[in-house]
Amino acid sequence: MTALAARMLRHRPGSSIATLLALALGALILTAMGTLIESGLRYTPEPVRYAAADLVVARPDTTFVSREFGDTHTSTVALPEGTVPVALTGKILGVDGVAGIAVDDDITVTGADGGPVTARGWGSAVLTPYQLVSGKAPAGDRQVVVNSGVAPLGGPVDLVVGGTLRTYTVSGLVDGPRVAFFSDAHAAAVNPRSGTVTAIGVLAAPGTDVAALQTRIQKIAGKDVAVLTGAQSGVAERSADRSAATLLVQVGASFGGYVIMLIVFVVAATIGLSVRHRRRDLALVRAVAATPGQVRRMIMAESALVGVIAAALGVPAGLAAAHWLTGELTGRGFLPEGFPMLPGAVAAPAAAATIVISAVLAGLLAARRVTGIRPAEALGEAAVEPGTAGKVRLISGLIALVAAGATAAAAVSGSGQTALGAALGMLYLFVLAVGLLAPWINTAAARLLAGPLRAIFGASGYLAAANLRANARGTATVLTCLVLAVGFGGSVWFLQNNLERQAVAQSRDGLLATRALVPADGLSDAAIAAVRAVPGVRAATPVRHTSVVLPLMGDGEVFGARAVDPAGLDQTLDLGVTSGDLAALGDGTMAISETQASTFGWELGQNVPVRLGDGTPLELRVVAVYRNGLAFGDIVLPRTAVLGHTGTGLDDEILVSAPPSADAALAEVAAEHRATVVDSAALTGGLARDLALSAWLNRLLIAVMVGYTAVAAANTMVMAALARRRELAVLRLTGVTSRQVKRMINAEQLGLLGTAVLLGGVIAALTLSSVVRALTGSFVPYVPPLGYVTVLGGTAVLALATTILPVARLLRVPPIEHMGIKE
Amino acid sequence: MSVQSEPAVRVHGLTRVYQADGEPVRALAGVGATFHRGTFTAIMGPSGSGKSTLLQAAAGLDRPTEGSVWIGGTELSTLSETKLTELRRGRIGFVFQAFNLIGALTVEENILLPLKLAGARPDRQWISAVVDRVGLGQRLRHRPAALSGGQQQRVAIARALAARPEVIFCDEPTGALDTNTAAEVLILLRGIVDEHGQTVVMVTHDPVAASYADRVMVLADGHIVHDMPQPGAARIAEHLAALGRRPADPAGATR
Repeated sequence: MTALAARMLRHRPGSSIATLLALALGALILTAMGTLIESGLRYTPEPVRYAAADLVVARPDTTFVSREFGDTHTSTVALPEGTVPVALTGKILGVDGVAGIAVDDDITVTGADGGPVTARGWGSAVLTPYQLVSGKAPAGDRQVVVNSGVAPLGGPVDLVVGGTLRTYTVSGLVDGPRVAFFSDAHAAAVNPRSGTVTAIGVLAAPGTDVAALQTRIQKIAGKDVAVLTGAQSGVAERSADRSAATLLVQVGASFGGYVIMLIVFVVAATIGLSVRHRRRDLALVRAVAATPGQVRRMIMAESALVGVIAAALGVPAGLAAAHWLTGELTGRGFLPEGFPMLPGAVAAPAAAATIVISAVLAGLLAARRVTGIRPAEALGEAAVEPGTAGKVRLISGLIALVAAGATAAAAVSGSGQTALGAALGMLYLFVLAVGLLAPWINTAAARLLAGPLRAIFGASGYLAAANLRANARGTATVLTCLVLAVGFGGSVWFLQNNLERQAVAQSRDGLLATRALVPADGLSDAAIAAVRAVPGVRAATPVRHTSVVLPLMGDGEVFGARAVDPAGLDQTLDLGVTSGDLAALGDGTMAISETQASTFGWELGQNVPVRLGDGTPLELRVVAVYRNGLAFGDIVLPRTAVLGHTGTGLDDEILVSAPPSADAALAEVAAEHRATVVDSAALTGGLARDLALSAWLNRLLIAVMVGYTAVAAANTMVMAALARRRELAVLRLTGVTSRQVKRMINAEQLGLLGTAVLLGGVIAALTLSSVVRALTGSFVPYVPPLGYVTVLGGTAVLALATTILPVARLLRVPPIEHMGIKE
Repeated sequence: MSVQSEPAVRVHGLTRVYQADGEPVRALAGVGATFHRGTFTAIMGPSGSGKSTLLQAAAGLDRPTEGSVWIGGTELSTLSETKLTELRRGRIGFVFQAFNLIGALTVEENILLPLKLAGARPDRQWISAVVDRVGLGQRLRHRPAALSGGQQQRVAIARALAARPEVIFCDEPTGALDTNTAAEVLILLRGIVDEHGQTVVMVTHDPVAASYADRVMVLADGHIVHDMPQPGAARIAEHLAALGRRPADPAGATR
């Protein structure tokens, strides 16, 4: 069967090119996504900093335990900056088999070149290990050990520690990763965390069973912290890499999943079309010798062959795409510099296998049609496809439509994450319903459009409407692909515009401060005091950007949070409080955005569990719920809550409310603290830039998806157009002029694509407006003018390139040449 | 009953009703006929008389609404689609008006296709005899597109013969050919009946083509209206012409 399939393929490559193209592009996307997943899943951080430690006590992640219906569900989230109490050191030292310990204070300071340097106590040097190349260990609070080449032995080195510029003397030099070693006492003194350190390294006494020691230490350390062996200790070092690994898996898996579904759908459609175009051949094979099973196997063999060729073309391209994507992701800060991306040794064969399996699966779906081919058709003159689509399809389509309607109601009436989830579900269900009901939608549209088309295009319009009705089933794929492209693309792409626009609007309205100090590294308390002392300054609000971990449906989720000083907040920031009062923002309290409040179901006055970025659990009372979460973050904490819990102990900006007369003095203060003064418009502009950057990945993925569906639609349309040569020849021989044929084709395209764009647009508008309402409260989404142009222009280009031009080419040949008895 | 006396094809009480625009159309209204081995039968009749439907039903390409079909000793109505296909490829040969061949395959591959699909080892001696008989020895490696219409029909006949079927059904085998080429094809069909004792059942509307047969059966409105031993082209034409005039005399329409 395979040999026969191969012969049939070689003889008529045209009918398979569409399938090949769809599969090869799919292979490309899947390989790229597979490489992301593989790199994320197989990421194991190499131990560097604690490579020489026998055991490391740290808190790389935090665990949530929830009970539901008697089942215990645990969820572990990587902590942005987990720490362990320094008090544990005493207990660990007492454990049998511990020869020594060293704490890693892990303080971020700024080097002379402006870049961040990790500063640590000299005691932790053995954990790596670092060895002195020359000089001696640091002593007192003015000596430092740095990498060779940074400064000469005995020379001065400037470091910004805790927002203050300090000059140290180089007492010794080491080789290894960039570092600054202080004396242990000085490191502890400048550590901004209160009583906690990043990790405690343990050195075992010679001859100790490290595994048993690990168990003993774990017992006294408690279950909140992890006791890691030296080889596992990489997880305690690079939390940015770990969250990047999670991001890669999430992006790759969710997007790859869609793409697989799309491939099966698109390829089933193209194979189905090629089966339809070869109906007579297949009927002949059936008549003379082949059982239905043999013909089905032949079609599946054919699809598998095309799949193999597609994989051979698409997978190498996918690996190249993955390489490009890695560069872009790193450049835009989604991936930390130096994240170990794998070359796709597993992803490439997996993607190839997925493509071949999808092709066979799609072939199987398409081959079901073969059962409908009666061998007697081989005798007939014309191969006409009988009947309409099945009842099962109609019923499933109606069910999907009803479900979509119900979800739409939920999306419109719900709020927060519920509404967002419902809106997304509605989008899928509507697209699914359109896909299933496409033949009937096409028929109905053809009926409805018959009048208008006739009025506009005359006799050509009449023919066009008749063709649309007759080809309702054949054009189902085109309708579905375009609705998918416009529906998905329109909602997800323009959603980013809406978010950005809304965030910028909130920022513009909510920012009462006229100026802001934005530092190179961080702003210390001294800077705040200096700003407040400037004459004319009415209020100054230090803001610290941090993250918190909140329990959502039993899983921990990391949210960005702002820690602010509530004093004078009413003069610098208007969060758009809808209930409660920010004046009450004191110890043990927090404020939350409306969107997240309804997602979590938290109400004013409720005590809620919050974990800080270092893993400290807190119970905070909600004292205010506000509107402007998009611009200012979903969680606002009092600054006192995070003091001693952040890595630098510095603030990220100071919002200042002051008359222009204070500008000169402010600039002076700023210069002193290595910061710049910007006005509120610049602050808002920075927010817009950040949002556009983080939306880039979403935009890229949606563009790929829309592109893929557009190619699929184009494929189908070209195939359909070229298969019409005989029909067009008949029309011309019966006296329809070339011009009328062209007008007829234009009218058909207008009818088909118009229906698709309209349906896709309605779905996108519904989704967009429910999402926008859930996020901002406004029902009317914003669509940039260029957006309309792109959707309509893209569709027009599609029609022109895939149907109008191919048909024009067919029309240049005298009709009689297409009338031959040979196919 | 000896094997020799068992007819190659027998149909009994054959009725076929189609739904066309929601209206039932009777293409066959209780047709019975027997086709003996080593005979060449032409089935004729005006368009819509049911001659193609009869052929399709007798050849197991279409299932009748009522009635039964025997190919040799096998009754078809109880066979599954797969069994029916297996029977077709082993015991029935086909020659259609056009589109007989798979364009992707060479002449030789087209001839061997049914055997290959059946997973049977071709009888090389027989195949080369068949190829010689239809006169295609030089063209085995060609694609169908390189052949003339008459040559394509000869390939189709060779394919039909390859499995040594009990009967070959032909549907307008000369319909797309010019007079001279048509004559060659008909002489070939006549020859395989005379020389190999093959059974041929052919649908045609051409009295000249029918004159090559031993027996001519004329259908009208789903009934057999004439069944005569080879009467000559002129008499056949007369009968057909008489049928053509019948609408003026509706009382005799089904007689």
